[in-house]
Formats: sequence, structure tokens, C-alpha cells
Amino acid sequence: MIQFDQVTKRYPGSDEILKNISFSIDAGEFVFITGHSGAGKSTLLKLIAATERPTSGTVLIANQNVSKLKPSAIPYLRRRFGLIFQDHKLLYDRNCFENVILPLRINGVAEQEAAKRVRAALDKVGLLNKERAMPITLSGGEQQRLAIARAVVSRPSILLADEPTGNLDASYAAEIMSIFYSFNQVGVTVIMSTHDALGMSANQNRVLHLNQGKLTESSLDQTGLNQNTLPTETFSS
Amino acid sequence: MSNWLNHHLQAIKLVLSRMRSNLLSSFMICLVIGVALCLPSLFYLGVDNLSKLTDHMQNETEISLFLKLNASADTIAEIDALLAKNPAIKQYHLVTKDEAWKQLQAKSKDNQDVSDAINQLGKNPLPDAFFIQAKSANPETLEALRNTLQNIPGVEQAILNAEWAKRLATLLSIGKKLIFFIAALLTIVLLVIIGNTVRMQILTQKDEIEVSYLIGATNSFIRTPFLYAGVFYGLFGSALAILMIAGMIQTFNYSVLEISRLYNGDFSLTLFNASLFLTVIGVAVGIGWIGSYFAVTRAINVVKIN
Repeated sequence: MIQFDQVTKRYPGSDEILKNISFSIDAGEFVFITGHSGAGKSTLLKLIAATERPTSGTVLIANQNVSKLKPSAIPYLRRRFGLIFQDHKLLYDRNCFENVILPLRINGVAEQEAAKRVRAALDKVGLLNKERAMPITLSGGEQQRLAIARAVVSRPSILLADEPTGNLDASYAAEIMSIFYSFNQVGVTVIMSTHDALGMSANQNRVLHLNQGKLTESSLDQTGLNQNTLPTETFSS
Repeated sequence: MSNWLNHHLQAIKLVLSRMRSNLLSSFMICLVIGVALCLPSLFYLGVDNLSKLTDHMQNETEISLFLKLNASADTIAEIDALLAKNPAIKQYHLVTKDEAWKQLQAKSKDNQDVSDAINQLGKNPLPDAFFIQAKSANPETLEALRNTLQNIPGVEQAILNAEWAKRLATLLSIGKKLIFFIAALLTIVLLVIIGNTVRMQILTQKDEIEVSYLIGATNSFIRTPFLYAGVFYGLFGSALAILMIAGMIQTFNYSVLEISRLYNGDFSLTLFNASLFLTVIGVAVGIGWIGSYFAVTRAINVVKIN
């Protein structure tokens, strides 16, 4: 579904953020991307979401080479993803309902159908009763859940979450994680970056670990919780 | 199709609600646009009505045909016959030297100096004269007719009374060129005003644009509401301009009617000049669209790069 082949990313005037990275992610996987801040986690997610293009190498999303896509085709590629950001990127000038309906408006979903789907998404994250509330009145955890509702309302096949629990305390974080797991269970591919092991729980998860732009991969199980930063397999060469 | 319609309806609703929430500043922008549209329109109306007025007057221009002082009754009859045959002449009438003399004495009755001077002349110095109205108001045709009449034997002088109307018409043609330049300059001003307004709006909506891009919005999705904003500014601005113009015409009409009455005319300015109003609306909407198109295209690139 997602395939990176010897991908290098360098911003003008900086060192290589990602060095020669290769990996692939299949449909339905739940993958963590870990590493210190500045290790290139966000850049990796941006490459997947096609907001950045690789300096060299190829990024294939659903068998489409992102580097060779026409600019006009990129929006349609992006609609396959649900994006969740650490800072939520909610729009504070409108209520929860209007925030969540935005992707459906972009997709051109008819208003009645859209309203139904918005309520379903709000219900899934437990915010149905906050439909008319302004996002600023919500707690941090609720805001992140709202952001998740917005990401899933268009029923994307892939969820990309950039440190979704980064600013939250443990109980909120666990709540958010359980929401992601429930989406993964119904077949949604989830790719999540996180700078700590917090919230990586129960299931056996695949972990892509970034260290100074290099990728190492480990499998995370219950006993591996505190060792997830240790490389077990080197993917980059 | 219904998607497309839905998208546009959404954009229109969004723009109108944004305008409503910033009612005062939206009104100010529309007012500026309205005033800018008003200036060339009023100038146009002024020139247009003046040229109608001069047409009106040129229609009434006469050629005065003064005969030689010693013209006999036969000569007068001959000329009368010639005039009657001339197809370019609408109507004419003869004022004999005696009639003219009596008119002059009657007119100068109130003025002692003039009547004294006239009385001192002792004899009638006035010639017989024909006053001729031509069918055409065209200055060249009139001039040609005057030349023909001048060459009739027994005619001392043929005078075209339309000289001043001709000069005014020339001045008005300069005025028309001026309108063009004023309109062109104000078009540039409007493009800048609307472009800048839309650019400011884009900056306040930067977050929304950014998020929309991230979740797969196309350029046209982002652009549409701003294009509608430009179009609505043009529309509302032109509506204000039309109100202002109509108000001014109405006030002018009171004085114009007054003057017109003094000259025994019934000339007034038309309140609803449909073609002018439609032009104003069309131009404003067009300028709004173009101005916001350029602003939004530039701003989108800036937001995208960030």
C-alpha cells in the first residue's frame, strides 16, 4: 500500500533529514514511527501524505509514484488519508460540526448525507453532544478526538497521526489510543509517530524507529515496551 | 452536477455569512467601490446629457438668409420659390424689412438709449430676411446648405447660427475621451482595492486554507469562495453606485427642470439609464472577479509554500 524505496529527503540548506530509507506498509497494519524529536518522523509522514516530495528515491502510495504525480492529482491522493496533527489544526472560528464536515465539503458530499456522517464520526469519538460547541471550549483530549473525527469522517483507508498524544496526559492519551485501535480493527491502516512508548500497548505492533535520519525496525510486544528504541533489524543500508 | 452546484451554493453561503459577520468593513469596501464607479458614470451622464442637449439645440438651428438691401419684391419671390424647392429645407419664413424694423422698435421700447439711437437713424437699415430650418442637424450638411444659399443671386449673407453648438460638440468629444481615461484609471484602482481586500481575507483565512489543502482540497475549491467574494463586492458596490447616481440625478433634475422651463423647454435627465446601470454592474462584477482571481492565485501559492 505504501512503499518507500531508497528515499532521501534534504531541505534546502540543511543536512539530510532522511537517509536512504526503504520500507513498505501493507493495508490494515498499525505502524508506529518512533525517534527523538528532529529525527525525521514528521518529514516521513509528510512524504507519505504527499505534502513533501523526496529529494531522491521513490515513494509509492497505492502504486502511484508521488514524485511523478501532477500537482492537480495530489489533492485526490490526499483524500485517501485521514491526517491528525499534534496541534490538532482545528478551525477555531466554527463549531465542532462545521470542523468535521470540512473534508466532506471538499469531497462534495451532499449536505444531508454529510450531516449523517459527521454525527456518526462525532459519535465514534464520543463528542456527539458537543456538536454545536466551539472547539476552544473543549479540553485538550476532546480537541484531539475532534481532530480524529475530522480525519475519519471521509472514511479514509489510511490514518496518519503525527504525535497525536504528544500534548496529552496519560488518561487522555490512552483514550485516544483506544480510538485508533478500534479503527485499525475495522481494517484502517494506522501510521502514528510518537516520541515515546506511551500508549503503545497490548497488541503486537510494528515499529519504524528513526535515528539521525536512518531507519531501524523492531516489532513491539508487551515485553518490548521499554526497549522499543533498540534496533533489531536494520532496513537502511 | 449536483456536487458542483452544492459546492457553489456552499461557497456563496460562506461568503455571505462572512460579509454579514464583518458588516461594517464589508459596507465600507462596497462604498469605496461604489464611489469609484460613481465618478466616471456621473461624468458620462454629464457629457451624454449635454450632447443630447446640443443635439436638441442643433435641431433648432436656423440659417438666416439676409437679402441685399435693394432686393425687389420679384427677387424675394424668386428666392422664395428656390427655397420651397430645396429638399434639404424643413421650413422657412420671411421677415420683411418693415416687419423687422417694427420688431426692433418694439423690443427697444423699454431701453431709452437704444430707441433714441434707432430713431436717429431716420430710415430703416434692415434687409429682408428668410429664416430657414434645415431637415438635418449634421454640421457638414448645414454648412453645405449655407453655401448653396449664399450663392443665390440677391442674397447678401447666409449665416449659420449653429457655430457655438458645433464648438460645444467638439468639446464634448474631448469630454468623451476623458471619460475613457478616467474609467481606465479607476478600473486599475478598483482592481487594486478588490485584490487587496481579498488578499487580506485570505490571510485571515490562512489556517482554513492550509487545513483544507492538507485534507485534499483542490485549488478551485479554495479559490471559489474568494472569487464569489470579489463578485459580491462588485455587485454590492455597483448597487450603491446606482443608488448614488439615481439620487444625484434626482436632485439635479429639480434645477434642470427649472432652467429648462425658463427656456421654454422640457428637457430633463433620465433617471433610469438602463444601459449605463447594466454596464456599471457588469464592469464592477468583472473587475471583482479578475481582482480576486489574481489575489487568490498569488496568495494560494504563498500559503502552499509555507
